[in-house]
Amino acid sequence: MRRPQIVTDERRRRHGGTGWLVALVGAVVLVGAPYLPWAYGDEAMDDMTYLGGPSPTQFLGLALGAALLVCLLAARFLVPRLPAARRRWFAWHTGASAVATGALAFQAVVVVAVALELGGLVNVEYGGWIALAGALLAFAGTRLLVPERTATLGRVHSPGWLVIVVIAVVMLGSLLLIAHALDEDDPGVFIALLVFVGAAVVLVLRVGLGGWFSSQTARFRPVLVMAAFLVAFAFPFTQDGSNANMSIATQVLIFAATALGLNIVVGLAGLLDLGYIAFLGAGAFVAAILSGSAFSAVGWNPPFIVTVLISGVVASVLGLIIGSPTLRVSGDYLAIVTLAFGEIFRLVMINLDGNDGPDLTNGSNGIPNIPDLNLLGFDFGEPHVILGVEIPRFANYYFLLLVLIGLVIVVFANLNRSRIGRGWVAIREDEKAAEAMGVNVFGLKLFAFAGGAFLAGVAGAVKAHHDISVTPDQYVFLESAFLLAAVVLGGMGTILGVLVGATLLRLMPEKLRFFDEYRLLAFGLLLVVMMRFRPEGLIASRRRQLEFHEDDEELAAHTGETPPGAGRVEPEGAR
Amino acid sequence: MDPAYFFQQLVNGLTLGSLFALIAVGYTVVYGIIQLINFAHGEIFMVGAFGALGTWIILGRAEITAWWMLPVMLVGAVGVSVLTALLMERFAYRPLRRAPRLAPLITAIGISVFLQEFVRLFYGPIPNGLQRLVFGDDIPFEFPDAKAAPRFPSIEGVSGGSFVIGGVTLQYAAIFTVVALVLCWIGLYFFVNRTRVGRAMQATAQDPDTARLMGIDVDRIIMVAFAVGAALAAVAGIAHGLQYTNIEFRMGFLAGLKAFTAAVLGGIGNINGAVVGGLVLGLVEVMATAFIPGTFGGSAWKDVWAFALLILVLVFRPQGLLGARVVDRA
Amino acid sequence: MSTTAEQATFDTLEADEVLLEARGVTMRFGGLVAVDGVDLTVRAGEIVGLIGPNGAGKTTFFNCLTGLYKPTSGVVSFAGRPLRPRPRAVVRAGMARTFQNIRLFQNMTALENVMVGRYCRTSAGPLTSIVRGPKFRREEAETRARAQELLEFVGMPDVADTLARNLPYGDQRRLEVARALATDPQLLLLDEPTAGMNPQETRQAEVLIQRIRQTGLAVVVIEHDMRFIFNLCDRVLCLVRGSVLVEGTPEEVQSDPRVIEAYIGTSADEPDETGSTPEDGAPRA
Repeated sequence: MRRPQIVTDERRRRHGGTGWLVALVGAVVLVGAPYLPWAYGDEAMDDMTYLGGPSPTQFLGLALGAALLVCLLAARFLVPRLPAARRRWFAWHTGASAVATGALAFQAVVVVAVALELGGLVNVEYGGWIALAGALLAFAGTRLLVPERTATLGRVHSPGWLVIVVIAVVMLGSLLLIAHALDEDDPGVFIALLVFVGAAVVLVLRVGLGGWFSSQTARFRPVLVMAAFLVAFAFPFTQDGSNANMSIATQVLIFAATALGLNIVVGLAGLLDLGYIAFLGAGAFVAAILSGSAFSAVGWNPPFIVTVLISGVVASVLGLIIGSPTLRVSGDYLAIVTLAFGEIFRLVMINLDGNDGPDLTNGSNGIPNIPDLNLLGFDFGEPHVILGVEIPRFANYYFLLLVLIGLVIVVFANLNRSRIGRGWVAIREDEKAAEAMGVNVFGLKLFAFAGGAFLAGVAGAVKAHHDISVTPDQYVFLESAFLLAAVVLGGMGTILGVLVGATLLRLMPEKLRFFDEYRLLAFGLLLVVMMRFRPEGLIASRRRQLEFHEDDEELAAHTGETPPGAGRVEPEGAR
Repeated sequence: MDPAYFFQQLVNGLTLGSLFALIAVGYTVVYGIIQLINFAHGEIFMVGAFGALGTWIILGRAEITAWWMLPVMLVGAVGVSVLTALLMERFAYRPLRRAPRLAPLITAIGISVFLQEFVRLFYGPIPNGLQRLVFGDDIPFEFPDAKAAPRFPSIEGVSGGSFVIGGVTLQYAAIFTVVALVLCWIGLYFFVNRTRVGRAMQATAQDPDTARLMGIDVDRIIMVAFAVGAALAAVAGIAHGLQYTNIEFRMGFLAGLKAFTAAVLGGIGNINGAVVGGLVLGLVEVMATAFIPGTFGGSAWKDVWAFALLILVLVFRPQGLLGARVVDRA
Repeated sequence: MSTTAEQATFDTLEADEVLLEARGVTMRFGGLVAVDGVDLTVRAGEIVGLIGPNGAGKTTFFNCLTGLYKPTSGVVSFAGRPLRPRPRAVVRAGMARTFQNIRLFQNMTALENVMVGRYCRTSAGPLTSIVRGPKFRREEAETRARAQELLEFVGMPDVADTLARNLPYGDQRRLEVARALATDPQLLLLDEPTAGMNPQETRQAEVLIQRIRQTGLAVVVIEHDMRFIFNLCDRVLCLVRGSVLVEGTPEEVQSDPRVIEAYIGTSADEPDETGSTPEDGAPRA
């Protein structure tokens, strides 16, 4: 990211001491302010009216202040006492300015939320203003700190038990966090919590712990992945048999699984597909038609495993059809072709109602009354009691979807790290060169479409039973755009990024109901702003980051030993 | 077959085609210069229609229906559309000029959704709210809510009126559309071939780098291209309003896609091609609806055939009917 | 298929067999004849130079040989069998190329770039790749090892994890050679391998090509740098306006007055060494 050059390195060197002091004052204020009342009314957020008794949200503010304090004190008093080799383990100043930015955003959200929920800024009590002032001080002060080059903690080799303990703690923490966040009904608290999590993550990354975590856990990758899945499996047990959060969770999983499929096409092979939702729809319609619903035009009701396969195959046949123009079309023309296919799919589903065409899909009313799944005697429609905890209907589907998404992740990750994945990326980078190197360009493109479609079709089959009814209007262009947005927002070509992107895009509207009217407006704006400022997504794959920030030498220097070839590479053959 | 029925369909097709053509020019002009598919162009057409309605509410006090309101509305519509297009170019597309191709397309989707929602949510509330601040509850210019499809003003002598020749009904609004297209086409021809800016546009389309070296302000030319496209889309917006009496915040999406089909059909980058492509597409759509027999005919399937045509053209004749500048699409 | 470049020496040097045989290759773009009935024979282990002024159709001829273009007429056969004009068939048969304007996979690492070159010599399908059985892992490890070996062969052992776009210009050219070698070719087509290089880098390229020849590969090289050509080549063809003007030993070609005229007589087409002029021979729109 390019910083505005108000604060030059020169000024930093001269006023670093002042900055540190100002930031320290800000940090102390941030730690103290939560003990003051922030709002005049207890309806605002989670009751922040007490003197001396911080609410949970106020504690989050306190935590940010404390983190800042630790960074500042460590930079000044701890680092000089360390042996030289360890001095650059942590990037305390970089961390301090990250957390100060986070704290400012956090306090701003709190003030705005209180004002909105109680009707006016007058309802913010003095504590809230003091905290905001503290955050401003901290922000201003940390701008003057000289940032460290990079933290070297990533190169430190730690004992295995430590890494595994850290993994366990992180996973447990995220489980509690997710459970807590989902229980939060107040939109202000929810957003504040998101900002807090964002600030914490950025702090961890900037201060050097992120580098350590990724380099150390690389040795224990299976442990990390298993732990993540364990946490995911444990989630329904924290819900006390409530269906409300589980239904959100299942929607997130369906959406994420589909987005991961799309990520193969867009993120790896570089083919923009604007009609991807049609594959999910194809899977859902096939499953609905074969479900034995009274509204289905087909009497046959095979076991679900067969249905799933048929759904996947039908979707991938559609994928082949949609993908076949890639022989002749590419780039934005291909995107428009896929969009047109997607619209045709929806229109045909509407028209196959027995009136304007053969009866297959029951037209725009769709197919309702799809029975719940029943696999090997396990009825997905009934609550079950496992380990003394009631597992409601949506939780049953949640487990099934978790298995499904695990499968999708395995497929994605393994294909990515294989000859096929390299072929895709090569095609994305330079199709002609890939062809000249003997890569089967057309075949791989078709496979990307068909493979991605298969995964979406399978997800659609589960979705049909999960939703109980399937209608064509669930599969409009906007949904394709949402899927694409999940991929773009999270980070093309990454797994974690797309999971995060899908979660945010599905969770936010659920939690920010008051915002419902403005949801699409914000969505449109989000796409534009993301493309403008962070086109590589929240979690960038290393490749993408370099691709989108060509001029950013700082970045290039981080990833490669050698600086870019002094402008001698002519851009001529690049496109 | 009844010849009058056929000629009626011909007229309908040409009318619809003129509408497509007016919008298609916007795609083609912009594409010709910076090889960008301005996917949000359909929304500019929609914004133009709403701009015309707003102009009528303010300057026509929502009651004047005399013919001279039409040029006034035209000015208002063009103004609003051009402003929207220029803002869009400046703040969304320009920063992405050197970005990978995917980026502007995704941005365009974002703009498209944003503009639709902006009109839906704020078309009534913002102007009405502002007036309430000034005038209190009794506001002089009441804007309708765009969540429902508001009525477009009916202009005397244009809206609704028609005459019949040999069994073929000619609606005045349809004549307005076709005449508007012809006038715009002629105007555009002179603009592109006879003015300095137009020639600079041609030069930029040929080779932007050289054009820049020759002292042409390429950024300005790109803005002109966006503005020209937006102006014609605004005209289309009015024509649409006059013909269909109601306008809707969603109307830009499908119209935009079809106009894009028309632009590709005629050869994207080629202005005459866009006009021809628009007319052909309009004719095909109307004729297909009227004459394809059996279950797969009729209006339920017409959009399917339009999209199928789009795919076929993109796949088998991406250079269009009249041929376009050959661009390496890889 | 040989596993190391050294072994290949014995595979191919023993016979003086004809590797590539192109007869009457012609390429028309509309009215323009870019390549007009060119014949070319390359024997195993030979280095053939292809020279000619800009726009003579050299790169177009390469594109015809490698299947990027389908020649309007003419036959190309490799090791005695006719070649389908498909890049994949060409690579599989044993002919690989580099590009005049470097066309690396910019956002892949150097090692990955070379590994892509192995694509046509490996076989793991989708299912194998997803399941990752022992056979898959063996193949993957072999691919990686071979790619690293080739990076070392072209003299850049330490750049495996550097993104291609971050490599210095000369290294990018060498990486392209390594990527082409990864396809286990018997014949390597180099399109202006020293374009844009300084004299020292040019020397290095010369040494590299010599070493490639020592492994038994035949090389066809397009070049403008006459010294480079004459130091290296066994035989030189001079292409002018799409057809062969002169063919012979470097000395013969160098002293041929028609060659000199072709270069000097058309001063506008003076050979430049920057390689920045597109010279696909295709008409520009």
